Amino acid sequence: MLTTVVGHYPKIPNRPRPARLRQAIARYERGEISRQELARIEDEVTVEVIQEQIEAGIDIISDGQIRWEDDQTYIARRLSGFDINGLVRYLDTNTYFRQPVVVGEVRHRETFLVQDWRFAQKHSPRPVKAIVTGPVTLARLSRDEHYHDHRRLVMALAEALAPEVKALAEAGAPVVQVNEPLILWHPEDLPLLREALQVMLAGVACETALYTWFGSIERVYPQLLELPVTTIGIDLVSQPRNWQVLGQHAFPADRKLGAGIVDGRNTRLESVEEIVASVRHLTRIVPPDRLYLNPSCGLEYLPREVAQDKLRRLAEGARAARQALGVEA
Amino acid sequence: MRDALLTSAVGSYPKPDYLVRARNAYAQGKLDVQELRQLERKATEDWVRVQERVGLDVLVHGEQERGDMVAYFAGEPGGVVIEGMKLGGLVRSYGNRYYHKPIIAGKLRWPGPMTVDMWRFTQSLTDRPVKGMLTGPYTMVEWSFNEYYPTREEAVMDMALVIREEVKALVAAGCRYIQIDEPAIHTRPEEDFDMAVEAFRRVVEGIDCEFHTHICYGPIEKIYPEMLRLPVRQIHLAFKNTGFQYLKLLEEHPWPADKVLGVGVTDVHNHKVESVEEVVEGMKLVLRLLPPEQVWVLPDCGLKTRTPEEAEAKLRVMVEGVQRVKRELGLD
Repeated sequence: MLTTVVGHYPKIPNRPRPARLRQAIARYERGEISRQELARIEDEVTVEVIQEQIEAGIDIISDGQIRWEDDQTYIARRLSGFDINGLVRYLDTNTYFRQPVVVGEVRHRETFLVQDWRFAQKHSPRPVKAIVTGPVTLARLSRDEHYHDHRRLVMALAEALAPEVKALAEAGAPVVQVNEPLILWHPEDLPLLREALQVMLAGVACETALYTWFGSIERVYPQLLELPVTTIGIDLVSQPRNWQVLGQHAFPADRKLGAGIVDGRNTRLESVEEIVASVRHLTRIVPPDRLYLNPSCGLEYLPREVAQDKLRRLAEGARAARQALGVEA
Repeated sequence: MRDALLTSAVGSYPKPDYLVRARNAYAQGKLDVQELRQLERKATEDWVRVQERVGLDVLVHGEQERGDMVAYFAGEPGGVVIEGMKLGGLVRSYGNRYYHKPIIAGKLRWPGPMTVDMWRFTQSLTDRPVKGMLTGPYTMVEWSFNEYYPTREEAVMDMALVIREEVKALVAAGCRYIQIDEPAIHTRPEEDFDMAVEAFRRVVEGIDCEFHTHICYGPIEKIYPEMLRLPVRQIHLAFKNTGFQYLKLLEEHPWPADKVLGVGVTDVHNHKVESVEEVVEGMKLVLRLLPPEQVWVLPDCGLKTRTPEEAEAKLRVMVEGVQRVKRELGLD
């Protein structure tokens, strides 16, 4: 029963700590510092947030996606075939991303996530998961002016991302996580996602995960469990009904559950007792050795200090739950 | 016919450099509140004169004292704080932009008038009506963290009572038009729309005043025609930024005779100032579907992200466009 994160982590702390990345980006945009200088600050902040996650007591961490302006464009900018357009609201949040526009054949150019992962793992004594936004979510949040065919776009994305995933697995990433929140809004894409993942994850021997958030799993569950990944991540906070849906079906013995039990979108801190109660409930559905405990989503919706408090509380709650249930980490 | 094609603005205007510097100095404790107030009022008066010069019919005070439309009521330096609210840490909204997201940390209560002094001051400067400017209960809650209420609905309904008290105070001071913005209302249309409408009703019910609302960028098609249930005289939408696509919705389901449509004719996110012809063209598209008495003309949204020069220029082409259309229709 290990603790982990879903992905992003707030990029800047609050006063009195300096907002170094914010200042560096502003200076870079004004032409006052070079791309290399900005990259150096991104590296330093990445090391900082790695340390914060470890200090909080999380078992499997991420690099905080510090270099990512959002889940879509960081990838779209590095593949061929994309332009980046105006701001669009991200799902039901008050955050916005620049919409990728498909204007040509989508292809892989050169690896980038594997460099990010190597850097993070080099600076972390704990395992670092590698994260990639999935083909259905990328396709659904982009505007397609080239393929005019959702299926072809999704498959092209899967093929473009496959070399990246392969490189990550070969480099030694312990887990490759594919983020697919949009599948919850497009259950009709499930067969297509299955096919896309078969292409994208072909020959990958490491643990794989598919994470969702914000939405109801009602229309995709239990089919979600048939996708070719080891772990399925489900947000149990935004939609409390997801608890019931989860409980209605037997959880297969060859899958793990990434349980989002700490609210990544609200500053109210869960108590240790609440977390223990959630874990008790979970272990009636999934045995502890196939359970990851994590926040409901990435943590960038919170101020930095609250994000770390949430992780600290999650780790404390997990320790208390292990003790109460008599299980090992 | 007198009230056809009235012009107004959505809320905010850019702050002059001296006020931006003063706000920073105040936040750092280097300037006292009297000096800040004086500069806010000077900037407000300047915007009143700009609006008069350009020839708007109904003015706004320009929100020179506010940073953000929600955080202002939750503890921004210089503002009156709603009881139960406080400012949280920085959260990123997009790109390299961050804001202090408010926190609802206790029972929400009206702390006494929050916007009345500034409205009264602004109205004292001009013979033209000045709109009262508030943020609606759904948006106030949706754009805050909630550490106190078990459900969003309970927070929204208590917030409605807070905003209602402010509305009553503005009306008692003599305010005839109050705009209550709900830009977050389409965040979860299936789940929350009825709740948001009910909260709005609790804000305005039984109060004698002309109410407007402004809803911007987002899936308007998901809340049309349901949005017509909002108990307001006018609904304003950002037409220019969306290429007047909303007109398709009005073709499918006609705009009701008892509501005014506020039409955004200039894009607030574009540095380019529209031509008078563009404004006229946009208005004519709308006037194919609605009589001029049912149309007000405004920018798409608050102009605070433009430079002061751009903001004035965008108001000017708007008013010139309206005058040209009125002449053509024999309304002047």
